[in-house]
Amino acid sequence: MSDPLTTNSEIVLECQALGYAVRETWLVRDISLSIARGERIGIVGPNGSGKSTLLKLLAGIMKPREGQVQLMGRALQGLNRREIAQTLAFVEQQADTLDAISVQDAVELGRTPWLSPVQPWSERDDEVVRHALQDVALAHLSTRAWKTLSGGERQRVHIARALAQTPQVLLLDEPTNHLDIRQQLALLKLVHGLPVTTVMALHDLNQALTCDRLAVMSSGRLVALGPPHDVLTPQQLQNTFGVAGRWLIDPVDGARMLRLEHLSEQERETHD
Amino acid sequence: MSRPISRLGLLARLIGSVTILAIAVLAGIAIGETAIEPSIVLQTLANKLWTAGYGLDPIDEGIVWSYRLPRTLVAGACGAGLAICGLILQALLRNPLAEPYLLGISAGASTGAVLIAVIGVGGGLISLPVGAFAGAVVAFGLVAILARTSRGASASSQIILAGIAGSQLFNALTAYLITKSASAEQARGIMFWLLGNLSGVRWSSVWMAIPAVAIALLVCFWYRRALDAFTFGSDSAASLGIPVRQTRTVLIACAAFVTAIMVSIVGSIGFVGLVIPHAVRLLVGSRHTRLVPTSALVGALFLISADILSRILIKGQVLPIGVITALIGAPVFALLLIRGARVR
Repeated sequence: MSDPLTTNSEIVLECQALGYAVRETWLVRDISLSIARGERIGIVGPNGSGKSTLLKLLAGIMKPREGQVQLMGRALQGLNRREIAQTLAFVEQQADTLDAISVQDAVELGRTPWLSPVQPWSERDDEVVRHALQDVALAHLSTRAWKTLSGGERQRVHIARALAQTPQVLLLDEPTNHLDIRQQLALLKLVHGLPVTTVMALHDLNQALTCDRLAVMSSGRLVALGPPHDVLTPQQLQNTFGVAGRWLIDPVDGARMLRLEHLSEQERETHD
Repeated sequence: MSRPISRLGLLARLIGSVTILAIAVLAGIAIGETAIEPSIVLQTLANKLWTAGYGLDPIDEGIVWSYRLPRTLVAGACGAGLAICGLILQALLRNPLAEPYLLGISAGASTGAVLIAVIGVGGGLISLPVGAFAGAVVAFGLVAILARTSRGASASSQIILAGIAGSQLFNALTAYLITKSASAEQARGIMFWLLGNLSGVRWSSVWMAIPAVAIALLVCFWYRRALDAFTFGSDSAASLGIPVRQTRTVLIACAAFVTAIMVSIVGSIGFVGLVIPHAVRLLVGSRHTRLVPTSALVGALFLISADILSRILIKGQVLPIGVITALIGAPVFALLLIRGARVR
């Protein structure tokens, strides 16, 4: 068994001048990012801005055309898939299966990078799986069949599977997509409470405010990076998302939130 | 669930499997046009294996040893091999309908084998199974490319449609080659062989079929966790630490290899790879630690039984075994189609 990757530095995941293209079309280009241990990073941007592509590059599932990614200070292309999976877990958007598997089966898959053909399942693996199920509050559903789960439950199973990898970095691609509002808020609360570094693509800008830092993507480029209140300026919202945005203050607790309004094409031009 | 089984439990299962297989082989030898007493079968085996020296009718002995035993062993190996192929393809392609016959791999292997046998490609330097393997790989490659470039309404039915196109193309090529170059008698023999036929099986085939299946079984069992990791697709497998491209290459080459060996011995037998893994999933769940050995066992039992049926169903005639498997497999295929439609 290989040792898990460790680093003394506080930077767990970073990339320099990262680019990915299909033929001559660049899906993401020139992205540099450093993520510190324990940080919660949100990736926001309109549809097609390259959020999913960036996550897949960071997860090593797709190979960059340009630049490189470092996990725990080591270049991703110098690591094998198993080493990466022991350190970094990735939750895709809506991964589904027709197989008749139980919740327990699905979460046990998360132990794959720690097992080998000659290494049997151990008590420690049982322990990790049990913890992962508890972390997402699904321990009571462990024997349920996958196909009977709701969307929110399925997403939590995926997160539990990722946690069973005992990763130090967790990447999530729009985990709240297609969930009702209650499930969305519950899931975000769950993710923010996890003891790992998280990088998460999000659609809802107000939900993204709960992240430590936001990376704003537009047409495959990183156009802003920083604390949510600093990067989501009215100007940025108009340029990147094509909407009018104003910060409001909740009179009850003083929290700041975004009020977003549609801009017609004419208004977008006159504001420029 | 993947609870490890104790050594004792493992041993019990192993002994149980071997016993069931032995009984099936015994039945496969005893039942047929001329029924042979099980005691005579056992005595023959004792004579041949330990030179026990029982006094037996040399005709009975000949039927048992040179004809029915190799035939039954090859049927078993072939069933196990095709079941494993279906299992691999269903897991990797995430498609419940995937199996070598429906994906055109068997048809490609037939074309490859006919090219060697009838046309004489390679001038005798290339053996039949090598030609069949080349044909199987080319066919799968073509079908995969066609499925990928023709993004239709649903990706999962696309590969099956591509497989049908591939099967038609390679079957037509095979028919063309036979008509063009084979004598009338050769042509009849080949056509019968193409439908799946165990009549010509002798000991030399046993020594090809059993090692091929043993290798495939070991490879599959080695990759059992990787096969599990494909449950949620290939990106998910990659993020679980599986080297996706390498795993796919090894396992699909393994499936093509087994299909090629089986096709060059018995022709293309359809639906075994479809029916067996689905039936076994109902029995042992969807973890490959159990699916791989159980599918091999049930596949072997299924094809030995199908072979017995093919010999006794019509008096004085031997049905091609492919006819029996298709009669059972096609309704199962239909059932899966209907169930798949309801799931989506």
